[in-house]
Amino acid sequence: MIKSIFTVLFATLSFCLSAQTKIKGIVKDASGESLPGANVLIKNSYDGTSSASDGTFVIDTEEKGAQTIVATFIGYKAFEQPIELLGKEINLTITLKEEINQLDAVVISAGSFTAGDEKRRTILKAIDIATTAGATADIAGALNTLPGTQKVGESGRLFVRGGTGNETRTFIDGMVVLNAYNPSAPNTPSRGRFLPFMFKGTSFSTGGYSAEYGQALSSALVLNSKDKADANQTDIGLLSVGGDVAHTQVWDKASWTGKVQYTNLNPYMGLIKQRVDWKTAPVSIEGSSAYRQKIGKSGMLKLFGNFNSSSFSLYNHDILDPTIRQPFNLTNNYRYGNATYQTMLNEKWNMRSGLSYNFNQNNVKQGGLPMSETEKGIHAKSVFEHTLSDQVELRLGGEVIDRNYAASRIDTVSKQTQSQSFHELISSFFGEAEMYADKHFVAKTGGRFEYNSLNGQVSVDPRFSMAYKPAKKGQVSLAYGSFRQSAENQYVRVNNLLSPERSEHYILSYQVISERRTFRVETYYKNYFSLVKFINGNPYQLNNSGNGYAKGIEFFWRDGQSIKNVDYWISYSYLDTKRNYLNYPYAAVPTFSSAHNFSFVYKHFITPIKSQIGFTYSYTSGRPYYNPNLSTEKFQSQQTPFYQDLSANISYLPKPSLIIYASCTNLLGRDNVFGYQYSAQQNSSGEYVSQAVRQPATRFLFLGIFLTISKNKSVNQLPNL
Amino acid sequence: MKIILLIFALATQINVLANGGKYMEAMNKNIEAVYKAQTTEELQHAVNAFDRIANAEKTKWEPWYYCAFGYVMMANLEKENSRKDSYLDLASTSVEKAKAIKENESEIMAMEGFIHMIRLTVDPASRGQKYSTLAAQSFENALALNPENPRALMLLAQLQFGTAKFSRSPVTQACGTVTKALEKFDSYKSDNPIAPQWGKQVTEGLKQNCQ
Repeated sequence: MIKSIFTVLFATLSFCLSAQTKIKGIVKDASGESLPGANVLIKNSYDGTSSASDGTFVIDTEEKGAQTIVATFIGYKAFEQPIELLGKEINLTITLKEEINQLDAVVISAGSFTAGDEKRRTILKAIDIATTAGATADIAGALNTLPGTQKVGESGRLFVRGGTGNETRTFIDGMVVLNAYNPSAPNTPSRGRFLPFMFKGTSFSTGGYSAEYGQALSSALVLNSKDKADANQTDIGLLSVGGDVAHTQVWDKASWTGKVQYTNLNPYMGLIKQRVDWKTAPVSIEGSSAYRQKIGKSGMLKLFGNFNSSSFSLYNHDILDPTIRQPFNLTNNYRYGNATYQTMLNEKWNMRSGLSYNFNQNNVKQGGLPMSETEKGIHAKSVFEHTLSDQVELRLGGEVIDRNYAASRIDTVSKQTQSQSFHELISSFFGEAEMYADKHFVAKTGGRFEYNSLNGQVSVDPRFSMAYKPAKKGQVSLAYGSFRQSAENQYVRVNNLLSPERSEHYILSYQVISERRTFRVETYYKNYFSLVKFINGNPYQLNNSGNGYAKGIEFFWRDGQSIKNVDYWISYSYLDTKRNYLNYPYAAVPTFSSAHNFSFVYKHFITPIKSQIGFTYSYTSGRPYYNPNLSTEKFQSQQTPFYQDLSANISYLPKPSLIIYASCTNLLGRDNVFGYQYSAQQNSSGEYVSQAVRQPATRFLFLGIFLTISKNKSVNQLPNL
Repeated sequence: MKIILLIFALATQINVLANGGKYMEAMNKNIEAVYKAQTTEELQHAVNAFDRIANAEKTKWEPWYYCAFGYVMMANLEKENSRKDSYLDLASTSVEKAKAIKENESEIMAMEGFIHMIRLTVDPASRGQKYSTLAAQSFENALALNPENPRALMLLAQLQFGTAKFSRSPVTQACGTVTKALEKFDSYKSDNPIAPQWGKQVTEGLKQNCQ
């Protein structure tokens, strides 16, 4: 008995030893090129090898029976195949398929500038927004150096491709922001309400954007807030115009950041002569709070809240008789909050949901008569993303935007309170499919359905885009889309039944991105329909009979490679646009548009003096205006002089945790004229008298000291500047 | 019957020993290879081998650790940033797998910090803040788990040198850490025969910055 067991054991053992199988083969890619260095192995065993320089491999294995052979290589999908090991030599040809979600795969780039995503070769990094001279850490200020924007110096907003400032909409984590700019005195540039330090990524689209974004006629500015913070820290900033304190507290799965900022422009305005006759220069207090919580394996909850209270008062001088002046006061109260939750539902489904609340109130007193304007908005949205395969992705979503607007004023003649208001509810659904043929070709198609409760209109807007990348670097993109946006509040309140304004974008773009260089050229055509029009020039009788067009070509070049420690970009935009809207007697070039815009941004890190210096030069050709002393045939026929600005900034880091920052605009001291205002009445010789709209001061000088207190001594606020 | 059981018991034990021996043999061979490797190809071969061992030995953290080490070395040799990042992604995945097998291992934490530190070097201007914080945290965790770990000290010293160089501040702190790291390289002995050994030469190189 025992003997026989021994025999069996021995026999099995010797069988094991003798049953060696040789597996020979070659690893290739789809085009037949051999792949050296691929890992070829028998699953769950030690047996395997790397393919040689000619792609061939030989494995001698003692495994037997049904096994699985696996081959892996960086950038390729894993290969698996069942195999029967019987001691006979096996010959295999393994073909590996490339992964599509690689970093060098094609991406649709028509119309969009992406900053952030640290791994993709993006055109701008998040830090670029903060370090651009002349922008003074204002998001719109930095984006105004990119092609597609037209500088409108007295506004500070983003005017894109012949569109008004109102046609660019801001979204935070996909949620709409209704009043994204701080109020400013007439003809002085306003700043964005949200500081760049809050965001890890920015996508600035100058047209042809995704069906996810509605209620934006020209441009979508999509800001993605930071995820959970990594370490506790306290930041203190002392500025020439105020101060701020921020603190970040980190827990295992959550983090909280709070910030309070006080700004008072009075001491500065007292020191440097201003063209504005301030009674009290702008004073504001602002607070924001952000909470992040990781939930489960992939869930992330983000809560954000912001409040801002600001006020100023000034005197408006009569154009005909400057000794006559009228006081103007403005108090603004603003609150914004949003909550978003994102999670993987399973391997194939991802969900994003959010809720946002906007409250904005302006109380104005002009010549002693009060006016007030209040807008409240709620936005609820859910988006589901489904990965059908590694080549096809679906996105489906729905949203509701509910807005309540009310304005009241006391009539100058009757002294009666007049009120106007509206309540608008927009319900929408959108769907989009992104399909990769391979890593060279991608197409995205989708549409957006909207129902507007105010005018009872139902609409469908198609969107389409595609990109082709034949070789490793250059790529061509195409985009088409139909867009709509409710008319501005000041018109909807007059006529609640106004239709939304509409536009159509056609974009063709070519882009080459290498490690640290980018070249892009883009051309577009844009149609405007249903623009608001005054019936017979009467601003209280409105319809949607306006229309217009915009077309142009834009160039962008960025180079961070040729000169050590130097990074620069150049953008140029040409714009040809006309519109017939509001009180225009016929189609004409609008006041806010300029044919040529040029920007040069330069950044240089100088190690011996521990400083980064930056320069920005901007040029904008003359803008049209109408001189009412001329006949209507000459409408918009006059042009302002060109605009020019050279700004500089310097950040000095004496210690890693301390930054001293200074910036100055308009070093050349040019007296820029943005346009002309004319007196309401004619003077004694029967003429309307003009007044140039100029910069409130020739230069704006800014100083700041930023200190960071944290455990890691090398952390500072540089990324926030 | 007893004898049969005994034989079976013996056979299983031999089997275990044989397998254990096979593991140690394979590891020692490839650890030597990964330390000696000079080119991306050689590193790729070594990393592939560790990957195979790791997939066969589901309870061992060391193969994943050396996989990560090999990928970090590949990232160091690579010039193109996007490829550098994809090697570092693979290194991170390997470290995560090692952590899933052995939760509180000082050497794995130090490797995690090493990866963060190399990520920082790809684009210091925009990654500096985030990854210097993450790297410092990992080294701190590594030293909390084992204050004797000379590699955690050496990597921390490197981070301190980088910070000092960036801000042009004195290297006193970094040099202190280097001295301590050198001491630990001489005194620290792990009872794990295939524990990481690398780093002493680099530390001696760092010491040059202090004279």
